[in-house]
Formats: sequence, structure tokens, C-alpha cells
Amino acid sequence: MGKRNNVEHMILNIPSDLKYLGAVDAAIQDLAREFSFSPDAVNDVSTALVEACSNAIEHGNHFAKDKRVVVTLRFNGNTFVATVKDEGGGFDYEKALRDESGPDPMSERGRGILIMRAFTDALAFRNENGGLIVELTKLRDDGDGGGGRDK
Amino acid sequence: MKITQREVGSAAILDLNGKLTGGPDADTFRDVFKSLLDQDKKNIVVNLEKVSWINSTGLGILINNYNTVRKAGGDMVVMHASERIESILYVTKLNLLFKSFDSEDDAVRSFSQATR
Repeated sequence: MGKRNNVEHMILNIPSDLKYLGAVDAAIQDLAREFSFSPDAVNDVSTALVEACSNAIEHGNHFAKDKRVVVTLRFNGNTFVATVKDEGGGFDYEKALRDESGPDPMSERGRGILIMRAFTDALAFRNENGGLIVELTKLRDDGDGGGGRDK
Repeated sequence: MKITQREVGSAAILDLNGKLTGGPDADTFRDVFKSLLDQDKKNIVVNLEKVSWINSTGLGILINNYNTVRKAGGDMVVMHASERIESILYVTKLNLLFKSFDSEDDAVRSFSQATR
């Protein structure tokens, strides 16, 4: 973890095991509070980040013991940016992003991008070196309200 | 994820404790629901009070078991969802699928009202 010119950043390198999501959640919650994000905004960023990490573990790395998920958290004044990188084979995110209607309500799958998009101010994907990088951006809301509920 | 069961009136209440994120949770849930349906207990309340968070796979688990209960002629509702989980249900429109209650009495009563 480091701090330079009011920029806080942290890197987490976790195994492909859902039990480590708690550590990621705790880290982002602590940092977001330190940078005066409102309780709603803290919940929003942690919800989106946990979702991104879940997807990386399950769909990217397929729970493989030899694959890791690298999470970078960066706070810069009013902006939080997180990246989640897996070691999977990449993902056709353009196709997924084109579908704005969301899954059938009775479908058991297909809500990951919907959740990440709803709880962040910007969401981006790129395939790099055989893995997927998800970038989540959340602006500090100064207590005026969170993201997910109003979208 | 720990699940404990109890009964109130005509409803079976499942008190969840932990994080609903998938993995072995899916099997645990399925087994619990199957056991309830085998005993003809088809009115099920899922208590989310002690569920710290849920991801999309966890939502899938709830939906899977909801579908199972409905096919068996029963119903499943949730109660005491945190604001964080309510937000997730809202943005995924699952608030239109699962009835969500703030009180146990209302959750249990909802089954008798549904049969009128």
C-alpha cells in the first residue's frame, strides 16, 4: 500500500477462492471510508468490486489453484478506480455489454455486468495477456446518495 | 454460509448466516430446500438479516431454489434484507420476483394471504 500526493493505492493478489472476497471487501470499505465516501457510496464500490472479483475467480480462473486474481485499488481525491485482473482466457465483453436488457428474471445467470454497471460511474473491460481486466470507477458523492438505487 | 431452520405457523424459516456467493453454498441450499419439499413444507421464508453480502452467483442460487419451490406448488419470500442487498435486488429487478419483508410476521402471513 502506498500514498503519494493524496493518492492512496493498494494491490491485493488473491488465490482463486471465494473465501478471499471478505478480505477484498474489508480493504475497499476501509479505504473508501478513509477518503470520506458516504456509506451508500462505500456499499456501492464494495458491491461492484466483490462482484468483479467473484467473476474473476469463478468465470475467469475457474477456481484454479494455480491462478491468481490481482486487485488494484486507487483513490485520488474524489475518484476511486479499481482494476481486477484474472488469468483466464479473456472474455467477449463487447457482446455482453451490448445486451442492455439484462437476463430473463427467472434466469439464474447473467447479472454480473448489470450489478457492476449499476454500482459504479464507469465500467470498462480489456483483454490483456490472456486475462481479463475489469476497471471500475466510482466518484465520491459527498453524501448525496448512492448509485445503484437511483439508476 | 450457515443455515438454520425453524418453523413459524405454516412457514419454514431459513436463517442464513454469512456470505451468499456460490461455490459449496449452492449444494447446501439445494439440499435444504429438497429436504423441506420432501416434508411437504412449501412455504419458505429466507431470512437475510445475517447475510453480509451476495453476488450474482448467490442470486442465482436464490432463483434456482425459488423456481424449485414454485414448481412444487409453494412459494418463497425473503426478509430482513440489508440496504445493500435490497439495492442489489432492485437493480437486478429481482425485487419483482421475490417478495421482501421487513417483519417476520408479515413474511409468514403473506402465505395465507396468497391462498385467499
